[in-house]
Amino acid sequence: MKVLKIVPERCTGCMRCELACSYEQTGAFQPSKSVIRVSAFEGHTSYSPYTCPQCDEGWCLTACPVEAISINAAGAKDVMDEACVGCKLCTIACPYGTIFYDPARHKAFKCDLCGGAPACVDVCPRAAILYEEAEVSDWVGPFAAERTHGPGGALTAEVK
Amino acid sequence: MSDSYAYAGQILRVDLSAGKTWADPFTPEDQRKYIGGAGLGAKILWEEVPPEVAWDDPGNRLIMATGPLAGLPIWGTGGLTVVTRGALTGGATNTNANGFFGANIKLCGYDALVLQGRSEGWVYVHIQDDRVELKDATHLLGKDTWETQQALESELGLSGHQLSVYSIGPAGENLVRFAAIQGDYGHVASKNGCGAVMGSKRVKAVVIERGGKGISVAHMKALYAAADEIAHNLQNDPSTKGLYLYGTLGGVRNLHGMGALPIRNYTTNVWPDGLETKKWEGPSLREGFDHRGHQCNACGMYHCHMQVISSGPHKGAIVDEPEYEGWSGAGWATGATEPSEVSWMNTQLDRACVDVNEWGWLCGWVMECQEKGYISESDLGFRLEWGDIEGANRLLQMISRREGMGDLLAEGVKRASEKVGGEAADCAIYTMKGDSPRGHDHRARWEEMLDTCTGGGGTMDTAPAVQPTEFGLPARIGAQDPDLVPLAVGTMRGRRHFEDSLGACVFTTRVRMEVLCRSIEAATGWDIRREEAMTAGRRTATLFRAFNLRCGIGPELERPSKRYGSTPVDGPLKGVSIMDQWEKMLDIWYETVGYDRATGRPTAETLAALDLEELIEPLWGKEAAARV
Repeated sequence: MKVLKIVPERCTGCMRCELACSYEQTGAFQPSKSVIRVSAFEGHTSYSPYTCPQCDEGWCLTACPVEAISINAAGAKDVMDEACVGCKLCTIACPYGTIFYDPARHKAFKCDLCGGAPACVDVCPRAAILYEEAEVSDWVGPFAAERTHGPGGALTAEVK
Repeated sequence: MSDSYAYAGQILRVDLSAGKTWADPFTPEDQRKYIGGAGLGAKILWEEVPPEVAWDDPGNRLIMATGPLAGLPIWGTGGLTVVTRGALTGGATNTNANGFFGANIKLCGYDALVLQGRSEGWVYVHIQDDRVELKDATHLLGKDTWETQQALESELGLSGHQLSVYSIGPAGENLVRFAAIQGDYGHVASKNGCGAVMGSKRVKAVVIERGGKGISVAHMKALYAAADEIAHNLQNDPSTKGLYLYGTLGGVRNLHGMGALPIRNYTTNVWPDGLETKKWEGPSLREGFDHRGHQCNACGMYHCHMQVISSGPHKGAIVDEPEYEGWSGAGWATGATEPSEVSWMNTQLDRACVDVNEWGWLCGWVMECQEKGYISESDLGFRLEWGDIEGANRLLQMISRREGMGDLLAEGVKRASEKVGGEAADCAIYTMKGDSPRGHDHRARWEEMLDTCTGGGGTMDTAPAVQPTEFGLPARIGAQDPDLVPLAVGTMRGRRHFEDSLGACVFTTRVRMEVLCRSIEAATGWDIRREEAMTAGRRTATLFRAFNLRCGIGPELERPSKRYGSTPVDGPLKGVSIMDQWEKMLDIWYETVGYDRATGRPTAETLAALDLEELIEPLWGKEAAARV
């Protein structure tokens, strides 16, 4: 299936993906409600977005006691608001930390791939987020490890 | 969420003397009239800072404002504008930085922060949505700006852009008159000693958590269409393409070609023999380092980067890639010619936190004075030769802690050179108001010298014309044309003030005003066009001027210092003197902007046209006010 392929080396931390995503969630630019989130690594020199990898295991879907999470036409795990009771079990079950709870609406929320036209992909000025067929789901791991400990490359100096 | 689109609708107020915080409304009427940023700051400064309140008086206001585009998906919209009564000129300050300040404070629910009073002990202002606290900052004293941000990240458990920290370094704590405010690793509001004002209020930092609120806009699809159009123009317009690809790195080589690269305190305009000039081209300055994008809010420019020092004693150090102004102020003005050394020094200036332009003129002046024997080794405590980066850093640390001769030099190059006197006084670069010129040799850029000398915000006001054909000016204006230069500076006056009111970056607003206005219309729902935008900008410029006149800063000070206005001795402009044309240029500029040449005051007609009738009486008296 087509997934969000993340190329962290291209990300500059401009947070435009968070703005676009949050608009899809709330109708306002409100990054606290974005389901794609940018993290910083190694002294503000490296950034990467991170969001639901739409894992095969579907931990959130399996854990939901009221069957409020289904698979949408784009293949994304999707929370059905009318069924969600806000118990947060999905947020506990998810090993990726990419399903969230909105206390204002008392609902879980997560990436639904915008139904097949992801907004974050459209707005990224560096093409650091692509929407492509891929088997891989862990796009950030090796980058995060390298940019946190810096075993190779020149960027190993501690920022004093 | 606010009633009006694109704005948070609130101004956060902090009275440091009383330890009180509250929010005032930023009304829809004031939003439309003053826009935000510089415009909002000018209004507050005029209304709340009377002439008897000096820059270091608790009654002074430190206004940190953003504008309607901040936090939106238009490129480069994390804007911060600092407005205050400044320490160098004793007049108005309008100085800008980017990063994430504007986005993060608006997501907390505020369009601006206004600091007033003076705290008893050192504090930092911690803003977390509706919760605003003054917290003890004793443990942060003495830390540089990057150390301060790192310490607060650890303290608050937040990283990346979840936390914006805009702080002063040791220079601001010690009231160095050209101290700056730095934030988000490399973004500096630098002019007119705004950092000294923050220090005089005993505020070490303003700390903003990325807020939980939302920003709504009038027309979302039109906003993205306008953002895409701006991006497309920046990527393809010949006047901005270089900026898009390399930020301001191309400036060094281009300005040298014009005779506008300031080398060794304006003593020469020619590169030294044997210089590897290739190293100073934009692509080399970028690719010569391990570099990584470090963009501001929503920005797609290849502009701001972090880099790693590639060689020398500081190899491996992470620094902020210098802007042109850094290569110039931390480098060429002081005779330094090795990019990796200049780059390292540039970040030391951001960390101790002083204005890089004033630094260049001050350090270059000290170096020239030592060479010529006006300042002895025992006066300074050591020998400082042209291009000595380690010595320059030693001087920086002395100044930012006011140690030894650093105490005098901390007063800025105008005051220090006047105190030393004699021939040394003739070598210093400044305007008679006390502004720090930008990092060019303005003897080859007459528009900027005229602009800096007539400006009201602590450096140039208007800047070189952007998209001038939109204003009926020729596409290219000769940098030494005594008729067109003042006409262009006068005609464009207001555009930069408007840009500085938007919460955006001046490098991403370099498109036609009609395009920029479309983005504001989409965000706010206003049917705003170029005329309204320019009127708003000119209103802001005029408020700053009125404020300065009220502080006693008049047209008699609108000229360069002896060295600043001198005649180049070599290079492309050898023997060409701006001062021969100075009075003529002032005549044309005054006529164009609608100010009175003799008194410097905006005329009553100009004030009325700008919807500033309330200024007529304070500037011209009761009778004149009655006539309008």
